[in-house]
Amino acid sequence: MRWTNTFLWFIALWTAGVTAQNKQLLYDFYEVPQSLLLNPGVITPYQWHAGVPLLSGLSVQAGSSGIAVNDIFANDGIDFTTKFRERVVNGLSPNDVIGGSGQIEVFSGGFRSSKRPTDYYSFGMYGEGFIAQYWPSDLAQLAFEGNANNIGRRFQFNHLTTGGEAVNVFHFGINRQINNRLTAGLRFKVYSSVFEFTSKGNDGYFVTTQGENNILRNTVVADVTMRTSGVESLLELLGDDTLAQSVELPRWLLGRSLLGGNLGVGLDFGFTKRLGSNSYFTISVLDIGFIYHNNDVKNYTLNGAGTNEGIEIILPEDLGNLSVDIWQDLVDDFEERIPLDTNADAFFSLRPTQLNASYRYHFGEYSKKSNCDCDIAPSGRNINIDYKNAVGAQLFMIHRPRGPQAALTAFYQKRLGNVLALKGTYTMDKYSFANLGLGVSMQAGPVNFYLMADNLLGYQNLPASNYASLQFGLNILSWNPN
Amino acid sequence: MMKISSLCRPLWYIALLFAVSCAEEQDFDQFNNLSIIPEVSSSIFYFESDEGTINAAGGGTFYEQDFTFEAFNEPFVSERVVNGTITYQIENTTSKPIAASISFLDNAGTVLDTENFAIGEHPFPLLERQVAYGEGGKSLDILRNTTLIKVTGENLGDASSTSSERTPVIIIRSSATFSLELR
Repeated sequence: MRWTNTFLWFIALWTAGVTAQNKQLLYDFYEVPQSLLLNPGVITPYQWHAGVPLLSGLSVQAGSSGIAVNDIFANDGIDFTTKFRERVVNGLSPNDVIGGSGQIEVFSGGFRSSKRPTDYYSFGMYGEGFIAQYWPSDLAQLAFEGNANNIGRRFQFNHLTTGGEAVNVFHFGINRQINNRLTAGLRFKVYSSVFEFTSKGNDGYFVTTQGENNILRNTVVADVTMRTSGVESLLELLGDDTLAQSVELPRWLLGRSLLGGNLGVGLDFGFTKRLGSNSYFTISVLDIGFIYHNNDVKNYTLNGAGTNEGIEIILPEDLGNLSVDIWQDLVDDFEERIPLDTNADAFFSLRPTQLNASYRYHFGEYSKKSNCDCDIAPSGRNINIDYKNAVGAQLFMIHRPRGPQAALTAFYQKRLGNVLALKGTYTMDKYSFANLGLGVSMQAGPVNFYLMADNLLGYQNLPASNYASLQFGLNILSWNPN
Repeated sequence: MMKISSLCRPLWYIALLFAVSCAEEQDFDQFNNLSIIPEVSSSIFYFESDEGTINAAGGGTFYEQDFTFEAFNEPFVSERVVNGTITYQIENTTSKPIAASISFLDNAGTVLDTENFAIGEHPFPLLERQVAYGEGGKSLDILRNTTLIKVTGENLGDASSTSSERTPVIIIRSSATFSLELR
């Protein structure tokens, strides 16, 4: 049981935190090699880099739109049921989402081609996951209030949208400086899905109306599907007390992570275009790809339509031929009309494609004198692409079950010698209109360490915050020579 | 000259942020006080008999039938119901007065409760009765143990007259509204 809990915590942490997956602090922050994962066409001022295994890139994000922990759990003396009804059941809309995302880089590296120094190759493996639960507004209100005082109201099943996954990604990227003004890049990915569940595009409703014959009529029209892969074997494993879970769970996880799960392929591409002497435009599109799920698949469907006005006895038709088991007949008939079925049909799932774009403007003269003369300063740094100050804006979009989610960021970047680079951001998205972030990249000799935190104002009172994220990592790298 | 300590300062600021971040007092135990008691409604049964069938029975009891009804007995309902109301509507457009009774029976066929109705001949206004169960009403155990319903119709008039209505019938409608304590 202890292992089960440990494993669930691992999964929870892996998928912890959200759906936003916006990494505005890391995007185009090319002091950090992991910025290559957000734009394969980012400027690459390195000769080579190697991520410290399991520590080179760790990020978690968690968020909820429409409500924060403090809204319902504050010790404010208000009746909890009242708060829950007003702020959750009636306060959230079907577009509000609660969830998280996380990513851990297992290993990563990169090197500049000796034959073609304009090319920089990078590779690695990372695990990532997300869980997103859109608020099932109508179903929650049905559960909270019931149908008795909602005669005529259709409780929509299309409010039921949920999804989550854990996937391991193997990747290899090529970054090429095509000329002094353009750097472009491509990254190929192989996905090994550990598990996935998704329910979206549902339709139908439940409604209670005045009956045609009887007092009330309940009607269900349903077209609801939940697709899962990898979930069934996980649940079986967790539910089997006869197995040594300390052995079996890691084996299961490793097996499905290392190409033993469901496989897919994908592609990232992007470029950096120098517009003038001091301005740059970048764009990247990530995760154009799919996973084909054909093993350990179990899908659930609820499909059909039925109405019910209770048991009907109409004479003279039913004289003498009324079944004593008429109640069971009624239940059976309803279940036949709206069957809850399962199947193992293979399915494709598209990756959550992301778009990043930015414009940045450098200003302030860069001077070698401003270099830190401390003894840990990185040597041989090419200053031609460097900046002293930079300002700009970024756009992030991600495809989600209820359509694209977007975020807009304004940023300021500053280099302090060769040792330190700072990036401050202000971001607007559906979680917050007051999201201030700060990222720091520090170079000590060949060691690069970065730490980035989002929604800093939220730390004044964390439970009242709608969103929080944290990224950090440790790399060894060598900068391009002068 | 820039010192390392000053360069590291922003890094420490972020680290410090996590160390000193504030949190208003939260009480997660409040969740135990969450009360979810929806009111759910559904029809129970519909009974209809034309006047010809009543006449054909020749007076007295023209219909008596019991049938299974396990909606109240389902564990989801019986374990959560805190109160309820059963509503009956009776409409009579026949030319004779009718007595109807609805009995709730348990598995052994024991009558747990009976609701009796006396309906005058047409024209007779719609009869509506609401029977409460739970606090201030009848015992909820009647519903919890009900697995059979018996419907009885008795002709209190003659067996030959016919109402001038186009389709003379006796109709019994019924529905139930329960409060279920889900949490």
